[in-house]
Amino acid sequence: MMSVCRVRSLSLFGIDALPVEVEVDVSAGLPGFSIVGLPDAAVQEARERVRVAISNSGYKFPTKKVIVNLAPANLRKEGAAFDLPMALGILAASGGVPLSRLEDVGVVGELSLDGGLRGVRGALSMAEAARLGGLRRLILPKKNAREAAASGGIEVYGVGGLREAVEFLASGNGVEPAGPWSEDGEEPAAVEDFADVTGQGYAKRALEVAAAGGHNVVMSGPPGSGKTMLARRMPGILPPLGLGERIEVTKVHSAGGETNGSLVRSRPFRAPHHTISTAGLAGGGSNPRPGEVSLAHHGVLFLDEFPEFGRRTLEVLRQPLEDGYVTISRVAATLSYPARVTLLCSMNPCPCGYAGDSRRACRCTPGQIERYQGRISGPLIDRMDLFVDVPRLSRDELRDGTPAEPSRLVRERVTLARRAQVGRQSSPNCALSGRLLRAACGLKGDAEALFARAIDRMGLSGRGHDRVLRVARTVADLSGEEDIAVEHLAEALNYRRSYGFGR
Amino acid sequence: MAGRESAAYLFLSLLQAKTGGSLSNRLAGRDVRAVLERPADEFAREMNLTERAARALAELREGFDACALVERLALKGVRVLTRADEGYPARLDAAPDPPPALFVDGRLPEGGFVALVGSRKATRAGVETACGLGRELAARGVCVVSGLALGVDAAAHEGALAAGGATVGVLGCGIDVVYPRSNRELFRRVEAQGALVSEYSPGEPPLAWRFPARNRIIAGLSDAVVVVEAPEKSGALITARHALDAGRDVWAVPGPPGSPECRGSNRLLADGAGVLWDVPEFLEAVTDHRGEEGGGLSPTGLPTGPPTGPVVNQHEIPETPVGLPEGEAEVLRGVDFRAVGADVVAGRTGVEMRAVLSSLAMLELKGYVARDAAGNFSRRSAP
Repeated sequence: MMSVCRVRSLSLFGIDALPVEVEVDVSAGLPGFSIVGLPDAAVQEARERVRVAISNSGYKFPTKKVIVNLAPANLRKEGAAFDLPMALGILAASGGVPLSRLEDVGVVGELSLDGGLRGVRGALSMAEAARLGGLRRLILPKKNAREAAASGGIEVYGVGGLREAVEFLASGNGVEPAGPWSEDGEEPAAVEDFADVTGQGYAKRALEVAAAGGHNVVMSGPPGSGKTMLARRMPGILPPLGLGERIEVTKVHSAGGETNGSLVRSRPFRAPHHTISTAGLAGGGSNPRPGEVSLAHHGVLFLDEFPEFGRRTLEVLRQPLEDGYVTISRVAATLSYPARVTLLCSMNPCPCGYAGDSRRACRCTPGQIERYQGRISGPLIDRMDLFVDVPRLSRDELRDGTPAEPSRLVRERVTLARRAQVGRQSSPNCALSGRLLRAACGLKGDAEALFARAIDRMGLSGRGHDRVLRVARTVADLSGEEDIAVEHLAEALNYRRSYGFGR
Repeated sequence: MAGRESAAYLFLSLLQAKTGGSLSNRLAGRDVRAVLERPADEFAREMNLTERAARALAELREGFDACALVERLALKGVRVLTRADEGYPARLDAAPDPPPALFVDGRLPEGGFVALVGSRKATRAGVETACGLGRELAARGVCVVSGLALGVDAAAHEGALAAGGATVGVLGCGIDVVYPRSNRELFRRVEAQGALVSEYSPGEPPLAWRFPARNRIIAGLSDAVVVVEAPEKSGALITARHALDAGRDVWAVPGPPGSPECRGSNRLLADGAGVLWDVPEFLEAVTDHRGEEGGGLSPTGLPTGPPTGPVVNQHEIPETPVGLPEGEAEVLRGVDFRAVGADVVAGRTGVEMRAVLSSLAMLELKGYVARDAAGNFSRRSAP
C-alpha cells in the first residue's frame, strides 16, 4: 500500500496560475485530518467538505492520520479549488481506490457535500499553466471545461463529481475530452442602439472616434442632456475583440469569477458607481481579485459623474492609463492585473449642472465651478484625448424626425479603422507616442501649416499637441485615408480641452 | 490730511465698515465732527444708533488717532481721501451717500470716468465687448472704472490696460486684499497703471454685503455707466440704479432676446437706458460729456483721437466674408452671436457633422468664430 500520494494541481495568482503539488500522507496513528502549506481559511475548511464528500460518494474516509501538504510551502493558497485533488489523493493514498493515472494529470475543483463539483475561478489560466508545466490532461468541473479548452494544447476533461473523476482515473474512460474550442454562433447585438438617440450628432461622432482609436473621452453637459444614455450605447459601436484579446479578457474575468463558462464575446463595458472603493476600482483585497479597471481590460470603463468619485480612488487610474496594468502589493506578494482600458467619463460642468446651458441659468459662483472642475487631478485630465460638450436639447430638436444612424453602421466604420491601425502599428492609435506617433502621424503641406497655426492660436501644449495628432490619425483612419489631411486635423482640434477646464 | 473734519470723516468711515449701514445719511446736515467730539452715548442716542453700533462707536473711539493711522497707511503706499480733503473726487461727493473716506492705492486720474460693469459669468461675446469698449475708452483718454471681479469687470480693465490707458478698480474689501484670488496679476497691473480704490481700510475682508455697497462708488465716480451683459438680479443692475440716483447716464449693450445672460441689461434698454448699438456713436456721446467738464489730453498723454484698435461692433460684419471656401462659408452662416453647440450649427445648415466640425475649427483659426468654455460657438465681431 502506497502511503504518500502526489496530485498535481494549480492555484490562481493574479490572472496567472502556478503549479501546486498536493501531497497526501495516510499513516497509522490517531485518526485526524490536517492541512499544512500556508492554506487560508477556505482551504482549511476543505477538511469538512472533503470528508463528507468522500463518504457521500460511496467511498470510505480512512480512519487514520491524514496529512495534506500543499507545496511549494511558501506560496499562500486560497480558495476551494484543492478539494478535488485532496479527495483523490486521500483515496489513492489509503488504497481504497486504485488510481493509476495521476502522473501527468492536473486536477482542480471545489467539492460540494454530496460529492458534486462546483466551478472554479481562473480555469483558462490554469489550463494554460498546466500545459506550460508539462501536464497532458486537466480534470476540472464540467462548468469550466469549455473555457479551459480554449487554451488548446491540453486534453481537458470536465467531470460532474468526485465519483465520476475516480472512475475516469481508474478506468481511463467514461469522460470525453472537451472538444477544441469553436465559435458559438453570432455575436449578440448590443441591446441599446445609437439610432434611439435623437440629435447629439457631435457627441456621437466623438464616441465613434473614441471607439475607433481607443481614446479616452470626457463628456460634459447639464443633467438630462443624455450623457449616460450615449455612454450606454458605446458597447454597440466598439470593434470586435480578436481571439488573443478574448483570451486575455477571459482570463481576467475568470479570475474575478465573472465568466459564463465560455470565452468573453464582446468588449467589456464596466460602469462602477461613484461610491466604489479604491480596491474595488484597482483590484485587491486579502484574496486579491481584479478590480473594475481590469475587468474593463480591452474595453471601456465608464465613470459617470466623474468628479463625484473620490480623488484617491481616481488616482489609482493613473498607472493603468499609463502602463496598461495595475500592480497590487501585498505583504505576501506583488501581483499585477492587465488594465488597458478606454476611459469614458461624464460630468456636469459645475455643481448645479447648468453652466453654459442655454435655457437655465447656472447658480454657481465662478469659484465653485473652478473648485468642482479642479476635483479631477491634472495628471488624470492629461490622459484624456477627447473633450465633448453635450448640450441639453430643446423639445423641438428632440422632436426632429430625421432618423439617426444605427450602431451597426457606425461599428462597421470603427472596425475598419481599428483594423487599419493594427495593420500599421499593431496597436490602437491611443497607444501612439514618441517615435511611433511621429511615424504614423506625419503631416504634409497644408495640414502642417494649419497645425503650426493652431499651435500658435489655440495655445496647444506639448501634450495637447500629441493628443490632437493621435485623434487626427483616428479621424483619417475612419475616412480610410493614408495621410492626415486638413479636414481630419481640423476635426480633431474640436475635441481639444476647452480653456480653463480642470485646473 | 489735516483738520478735525478729515479725522471725523475717517472715523465715520471705519465705523461704517463695522456697522454695515450708512451713517452719512443720518448725519444729514449735522456737523460731522460730532462723531468724535460729542460724548459717545449722547451721540448714539441722538443718531438713534442700534446697540451694536453704539458699542462699536465706543470701542473705536478708544485710542483713535487719525494722524497715526494715516501715517501708518502712507508707509504702505495707501492714501486716505476724506470728503473734507481736496483730492476727494467731486463727482462722487455729489452722488447720494458718498463714502466718508476713500483708501487709494495708485493715482486717480483727472478727466472723464466711464464705468463698465456686467456679469461675472459673461458669455464670450460679453467679455469681448467689454474688453473692446475698455480699449476704445482708454485710447480716448477716458478712465475705465469697474469692480475688478471676474467676467465683464476683468475684461474691461484688461481692455483699458491693453490700450495703455488709466483704469480704476473699486473693491468691496480692503485694497490690499486680492479677491477673487485668480485676478492677482490684474490687481497688480491696475494698481500700476491706475488705482485701486475702496471705502474699507486695508485688511477688511470681502464680506457679501460690501459688494452691492461698493457699486454706489463705481456709479458715483463715473460720468456714465455701461452695463455690458447682466442677467436678472445682477450686481451690475444695482450699479445702474445707483447711477440713475446720482443722475448719471446709463447705457446698456443689447443682447439677443430671451437669452438669460442678457435679460437684465435688455430690461434696462426697455426702461429707457442708452442703447449702445454703435460704438463710435457711444464714444462720441461719452467723450463729449467729458469735454463739457474740460477734457483735453488724457492723463496718460494719449491724444483723444480716433481709436487705434479695431472697433468692436457686432453689426458691422460683412454678410458673407469673401475668400472663404464654400463649405466654411456655409457653416459660418449657421453661427450667430449667440453661442450654440456644434449640433445646432449642423441642424441649421444641414451639413454633415464631420464637415461641420472641421469647418468650425478652420473658422476658429481664421478668427471668424470663437469657442467658449462650454464648447459653444459664436461669431466673432471682427476676424
